[in-house]
Amino acid sequence: MAADPVDGTLALPEAPTRPAAGARGRRLPLLPIGIIATFIVVAALAPLLSPASPYEQSLRHRFTPPAWEDGGAWAHPLGTDRLGRDMLARIMYGARVSLAAGVLTVLLASAFGAAVGLVAGYYGGRVDAVLMRMTDATMSFPVILLALILAVTVGPSFFNVVLAIAVILWARYARVIRGEVLTLMELDFIAQARIAGAGAGRIITRHLAPNTLNTLVVLVTLQIGYVIIVEASLSFLGAGIPPPTPAWGSMIAEGRDFVTSAWWVSLLPGLAILLVVLAFNLLGDWLRDTLDPKLRQL
Amino acid sequence: MKRSSRTMALSLSLSLALALCAIAGPAWAQAKTELTVVLSSFAGETLDPVLQGHLVKYYLSPMFDYLVGTTPDGTPSPAGGIAIKWENSADHKRWTFHLRKGVKFHNGDELTSEDVKFSLQRAMSKRSTTGYAGPLRTLIQDIETPAPDRVVIVTKESTLIIPTYLSRSLSTEGMVLPKKYIEANGDDVFARKPVGSGPYRFVEQVTGAHIKLTAMDTHWRTGTPKYKNLTFKVVPEETTRIALLRRGEGDIVEVSRERVKELQKEGYPIHFRKEEAILHAYWVLGPDGRVGPTKDKRVREALNLAIDRNEIAQAIFGGHADPAAIPMGLSWSFKDIGFKVTPDMQYAYDVPRAKKLLAEAGHATGFPLDIYAFQLPGLPEGKAFAEALAGYWEKVGIKPRLIPVDYPAYRKLWVDRKAPEAVGYYNIANRDWIGTYALLEKMAYGPSKPNDTANDPEADAMIAQVMRQTDREKINTLMRNIYTRLRSEHVGVPVVYLHSPYATAKTLGKWTPGTVMYDLFLEQLAAGK
Amino acid sequence: MIRFVCFRLLQSLIALAILSVVVFVLARATGDPLHMILPMSATEEDYANARQYLGLDRPYVEQYLTFVGRAATGDFGNSIRARRPVSEILRERLPNSLRLALFAMTVSLAMAFPLGVLAAVKKGTGLDRAAQVISVLGQSLPSFWVAIILVEFVAGRWQWLPAGGNEGFTSYILPGFTLGWFVVAGLMRLLRSGMLEVLDSEYVKLARLKGVAESRVVWMHALKNALIPVVTFAGIYFSILVTTAIVVETVFAWPGLGRLAYEGISSRDFPVIQAVVLTTAAIVTVVNLAVDLLYAVIDPRIRYAR
Repeated sequence: MAADPVDGTLALPEAPTRPAAGARGRRLPLLPIGIIATFIVVAALAPLLSPASPYEQSLRHRFTPPAWEDGGAWAHPLGTDRLGRDMLARIMYGARVSLAAGVLTVLLASAFGAAVGLVAGYYGGRVDAVLMRMTDATMSFPVILLALILAVTVGPSFFNVVLAIAVILWARYARVIRGEVLTLMELDFIAQARIAGAGAGRIITRHLAPNTLNTLVVLVTLQIGYVIIVEASLSFLGAGIPPPTPAWGSMIAEGRDFVTSAWWVSLLPGLAILLVVLAFNLLGDWLRDTLDPKLRQL
Repeated sequence: MKRSSRTMALSLSLSLALALCAIAGPAWAQAKTELTVVLSSFAGETLDPVLQGHLVKYYLSPMFDYLVGTTPDGTPSPAGGIAIKWENSADHKRWTFHLRKGVKFHNGDELTSEDVKFSLQRAMSKRSTTGYAGPLRTLIQDIETPAPDRVVIVTKESTLIIPTYLSRSLSTEGMVLPKKYIEANGDDVFARKPVGSGPYRFVEQVTGAHIKLTAMDTHWRTGTPKYKNLTFKVVPEETTRIALLRRGEGDIVEVSRERVKELQKEGYPIHFRKEEAILHAYWVLGPDGRVGPTKDKRVREALNLAIDRNEIAQAIFGGHADPAAIPMGLSWSFKDIGFKVTPDMQYAYDVPRAKKLLAEAGHATGFPLDIYAFQLPGLPEGKAFAEALAGYWEKVGIKPRLIPVDYPAYRKLWVDRKAPEAVGYYNIANRDWIGTYALLEKMAYGPSKPNDTANDPEADAMIAQVMRQTDREKINTLMRNIYTRLRSEHVGVPVVYLHSPYATAKTLGKWTPGTVMYDLFLEQLAAGK
Repeated sequence: MIRFVCFRLLQSLIALAILSVVVFVLARATGDPLHMILPMSATEEDYANARQYLGLDRPYVEQYLTFVGRAATGDFGNSIRARRPVSEILRERLPNSLRLALFAMTVSLAMAFPLGVLAAVKKGTGLDRAAQVISVLGQSLPSFWVAIILVEFVAGRWQWLPAGGNEGFTSYILPGFTLGWFVVAGLMRLLRSGMLEVLDSEYVKLARLKGVAESRVVWMHALKNALIPVVTFAGIYFSILVTTAIVVETVFAWPGLGRLAYEGISSRDFPVIQAVVLTTAAIVTVVNLAVDLLYAVIDPRIRYAR
């Protein structure tokens, strides 16, 4: 087994029975990446690209259908919502909010969770036990309830949504990373590094962390979609990102009584969520198959 | 041979079809003896009348009788209640009620004046949290039972309000409960297995799902009931309520104003309770009264002129609302007190004039204004409405900030006066003149009332006088003046009167939902009246 | 092993105890339930009376100790809004949630199995990709939206199935499917990779060489081994189902724990909030413990008790 005890890169032994773990081939999943890139560009350039302000109301023009329907107009290509606000603008600006929420939450949760997992896995014993029970307790608290309680206590806001989800989500990362670390700890190169005199900090940061990166990347990618979906559910319950900020989840929730009469109000942001989340999920699957198919429990 | 196999195939497919229908078909098998009412919320879901007020009347009114009954339009009537006659002493301090004879509770006990006294004391007890327990506590001095069919209520001050406060038109204080049963079994058992004297008796409750009642064989309120079983279902999501209607699993379904058009197109009869509530917005007071720019009457008027009530009625409320002109103007009381809303009282939609007034008051560049956004029972459009308000006021230069909350959080801020000058709103249930007085005494009266929104000493003085009057003419004049004053001072932003729609099954037949708060007069339906 | 189990149990109890403090504080932070039950005209005196009557005026520490002491025996106090024992309400609602979660789990497994096996056997083909997309689709749609679409069309317009409530077997189908579709992707993935791994193994190759029929290879040998991770993670997904059912319960008017929690939070009903959170936490903890045990038994390479 080739291992460099200094910088910790490691060639893990191949499972003896595995040929090129034939997932979907080595080709990049162009479609998911394309979709994600498009939305990121749209989100970043929303003020430039958007035909109108997402906040401007015009009750007179409420529920205008998309341009290709009867009664639609190209002034509002995707129609207007219940308060007459332009749907295309709101979907574009909504990309900013929804994507930002997803990415921020996941970054916060993964950073904290990975740290906990690394420490717990490395030290083991009592430290591990305490951290893991904390993790278990956290994981058993329903995300949605915590977000509701926060919303009711301090009022719904973007940061409350991020906070509420991240505060529960980190536990998942902690558990998975810890599992990874436990496996790694069995390998010789850690013992070698210790013999070579490396301290806890060095081992964790230089040897363990880089080898958990693959897992982390996969998990992060898969979780962004999950967070966007949870935000949508929170908006449905009244605890999501509050109006008038356009967020896809809130937009679907606002349009839920008009599913057949003004279908575009909920269907279009729903499609946006579907595309983005599907893309992240497919990308995550590909990443997992490429980086380490052993991560099947994700 | 061929024929028999064909017959077999036919009967087999027929039975298969029938079986499939039975499993998955709509419940057209629901016979005409069942009536299902689908509501969006049951509030506290308690079955003990003293533990909640208002909303629980929907399902408690069929189970209990009131001391004073009313007609569907809210007029106290001897025909609908336990009291077949009532009279007051000359000084309006002694109210004598003559009770109907031969009324039995569902467990067979006879209803006497003892039960009436017991129920009233219970409604006024510390444990009670009904809407008008407080005023009754301060007002009632004693309750006498000179005979099994007579009750005398003695009040500390002269008053006209006793019969109405104990009637069906307000809250649950007038419900007559079985003294022997409650004393024998305790409050907890009664709350779980209530016993009343109404046309329907309790069968079962599954919290979060339904409440089932079944009809007594005959009852003086309804005769022989048409519907043997009455089920109330609670379904929070509107799409699901409508699906129940379409499937025939709901006969009377609470719907929002937006879906009315769609349902009317499909031929479902929609019954409206017209002007069921007034949507009234107002500014939260500070600890010492009005603060900020809204101290100036011109600013308050400007904010009123800046919104297009017609457009709001059409856009937010699907056209099922009418512009309102009088702050806290409960229109069902107007005819009682002889108040007429003249055209000049209606607020015009006048943006230039609004801007002018703001400039005159020194706020040409606007000012920040917090608007709390929340939903309420009967007002699912709450948040959209708040957003619309913000939109209109932005156009005249105000800088609105929308703060979404849920109603309890907002109420705390309002009552604790921790959010001065913030805009809040409520859909105040419409009612007759006594109920209106009760409302004004809560929401427009300064002295020691945290719910005050008017902050007007002149109005306070007039309201205080109403309390002491027993002359109807004087009361009417006072109340007319109060309303005129509230309007001229622009104490709030009266927006629209809301019509509440109830969609019904096509087979329901004639039904008058009436105009009494939180009461659908279902036994009227049952009697086929 | 026994030591390990006892040790873990003790630790889980400690975790629950910490959680009880957290939820106690959180519940009380939500606000004052009296605003919800007392009428608008209530005076300061009315509030004081109610507070005393409901025991809300005692010092927090005393309230907490009473709460924990009673909770250990399953008594969560009285709901402030409903004025009934919370444990009674729980007894009514918990079975509904459990049953729905079980049904949803069955639906997920029923969907995940054919999809996973198909994807593994037809690995790399369009069918593999299609199976993947179908299962991931369930994870990519907000469940309330799926629920509303189903209610509007399947129940309301086409009238094939009931729209709400839980009367009869058919009323489980729509909410069960909505809940279950969300976790199909995870299960299917597990099954697929598990099967792929086994299908490529020496053992199976040997069986093929020996001439064992392909279908036997798939069903008897590969599937058996691939089942293990699926079963262990089904447990975890079960807890996800119980805790995320609140949205589905709201749309389908299902009288379960989720809606109870929502109503409790809306009315600032501390006893209810505390009870629901602790109950859900207990369920999840128990399930996690069981899964961990199973995992440790099956895969001794992973050391847990150090």
